[in-house]
Amino acid sequence: MSSSTIDYGKTRAFLIDTTKCTGCRGCQVACKQWNGLPAEKTRFFTGEGYQNPPQMSEYTFTRVKFKDYEKHGQNEFAFYKEMCMHCNDPACASVCPVGAFRKTPEGPVVYDSTKCIGCRFCMVACPFGVPKYEWSKAFPLVKKCTGCYSRVKNGLHPACATACPTAITYGSRAEMLKEAEKRLKARPDRYFKVIYGKEEAGGTSVLYLTQQPLDELGFRKITKRPLPSYTWQALRLVPGIFLTVGGTLSAISWFQHRKERVRREEEE
Amino acid sequence: MTAAKIIMNEIKGYHRFIKLMMVLVGAGALASLIRFIFGLGATTNLNDTYPWGLWISFDVVTAVPLAAGAFTIGIVAHVFHIRKLEPLVRPAIVTGFLGYSLVCVGLLLDLGQPQRGINVLRYWNVHSPMFEVSMCVMAYTTVLTLEFLHPVSERFGWHIPLRLLRTLEVPFAILAAMISTLHQSTLGTFFLIAVDKLHNLWYNPLLPLQFWLSAIFTGLSIVIFEASLVHRYMGQPDESELLATLTRIIPWVMGVYIAVKLYALAFLTHGPLFDRPALTALFAAEMIAGVFVPFLMYLTKRIRSDKRMQLRAASLVIFGLVLNRFNVSMFGMEQANQQIYVPSFIESVVTIGIIAAHILFFVLVAKYFPIFEHHPEATDYSIPDHFRRIGKDGHGKVSAA
Repeated sequence: MSSSTIDYGKTRAFLIDTTKCTGCRGCQVACKQWNGLPAEKTRFFTGEGYQNPPQMSEYTFTRVKFKDYEKHGQNEFAFYKEMCMHCNDPACASVCPVGAFRKTPEGPVVYDSTKCIGCRFCMVACPFGVPKYEWSKAFPLVKKCTGCYSRVKNGLHPACATACPTAITYGSRAEMLKEAEKRLKARPDRYFKVIYGKEEAGGTSVLYLTQQPLDELGFRKITKRPLPSYTWQALRLVPGIFLTVGGTLSAISWFQHRKERVRREEEE
Repeated sequence: MTAAKIIMNEIKGYHRFIKLMMVLVGAGALASLIRFIFGLGATTNLNDTYPWGLWISFDVVTAVPLAAGAFTIGIVAHVFHIRKLEPLVRPAIVTGFLGYSLVCVGLLLDLGQPQRGINVLRYWNVHSPMFEVSMCVMAYTTVLTLEFLHPVSERFGWHIPLRLLRTLEVPFAILAAMISTLHQSTLGTFFLIAVDKLHNLWYNPLLPLQFWLSAIFTGLSIVIFEASLVHRYMGQPDESELLATLTRIIPWVMGVYIAVKLYALAFLTHGPLFDRPALTALFAAEMIAGVFVPFLMYLTKRIRSDKRMQLRAASLVIFGLVLNRFNVSMFGMEQANQQIYVPSFIESVVTIGIIAAHILFFVLVAKYFPIFEHHPEATDYSIPDHFRRIGKDGHGKVSAA
């Protein structure tokens, strides 16, 4: 994992201002086009609300969730664009036994499909439920938002950020955080006072501003600690434990065998 | 007679039970074939919400501690050098060898790209618990295979390997304990990454320690379980006196386990513990029937030395362990409003086939290899030696150092 040497302030990040989202789903379409993903056959109201497809999948890397709520007696929609959060210290990268996931210095967390053995630990580990599996295939691989790494590397913005007419700003993480805080300060009545992604899972490259409380919109409540630190606090002990167990048992074995040798010599 | 005919005749002589096991193994093999032809999505009930199901929960996370008998009895008999327990070692090693081989089978079945399994050796990621477990399982399966060669070489009279294996007996026991400590605990580390997914009743930073401790006392209980069944159904001598030695060790480990578990519950969990009745019930079943009851049974002298009660206590421990691993890897991971995962028919047939394979191969190995005739007082411990004379009485000194 190269993530420890990355300056997160310089990585590219998405600032998604959900208060400016109109729910046009241009991002969904752009994502499908750029990644060459097939359409899904869907029916309305098979998921949790007024949104389609019902969830992200091997064919759908991003999706706008619709949340009904009432304002001044009127029915209103709030929107939440779901996608890979591109964590600073990604859980998927830390648990993958072959290191198929990598946090790039540019920001996106990318997946190398040629290494993957298909254990699906990344899916279990991801706190946001992002990696999806090709359940339709006999030899499936993992699919997820690439952060449009190929575009970003060539100086372009990701497809969804380019397509979005209103809500997505793309730039360095430090700038995006500054911008988000500026907006929070300028219009305190407009925003819920949290930048989601600033500290979640140790910080992510996708930052959200919302009007509603986060849990009402369907944002998961997530630890502020980088997830890999939870497993690493146990795993880092491994070499020490290995040698301690070996040493202790060798000593015990030597002692026990010596006891018997001494006893036998005394008998003779 | 052709070889095929000889084999067919041999099989005809088997007990009905063995034939049933053969049918189940065949069904499991067929189901695995179907899984490879049609893929995981079509044959299992796994989906993006449940990326891991029965095969990980049972065939890997549960089967590994159930195969812990080999390393625990190895420590007790070889490292602590309690020689009289020698007769229990070989059957435990056979069980461990079969158990780990079948864990490998289960793991390969569950991988989406099993043909790339070798990538674990090519691209190391030391931050991954899965990497560590894969390496350990490979290493330990190798050690178990070598240990299993012991009765095989005896059977075929391969004297030089036998001599080598006897010299390495204690180093192997220590190596087995080192490797097992790592992967038994790391199976618990798997679930430390599931911070906001695994329920607080099970999630705490000491989960790896709990997995290791429960593997030790379950490993010893498995030895009791197996020796009792072998005595009852395979006409082997009654070992309940030897088993009573184990039942004196087990409550110590269980005691530490209970202490760690209670400490973790009281001080290391964050958030509500008893907010979901179903999970509370599962937790209570696991702790009361699977830990406290057998703990008290093992503490009672009368029960400890009674062969029927030994078996019952051991069975309860095994039940508790299986439930614990399912609670951690499956039930505790289900969120409150999520649809519930039930394994598909194919998944179930494969897992039943794997269990049947374990029983079948154990019985067959016991039938054709000397795994029970290992009483130190009854067995000639000297190495059959064509090269130089050993002791004058034909018995060399037991050199296990």
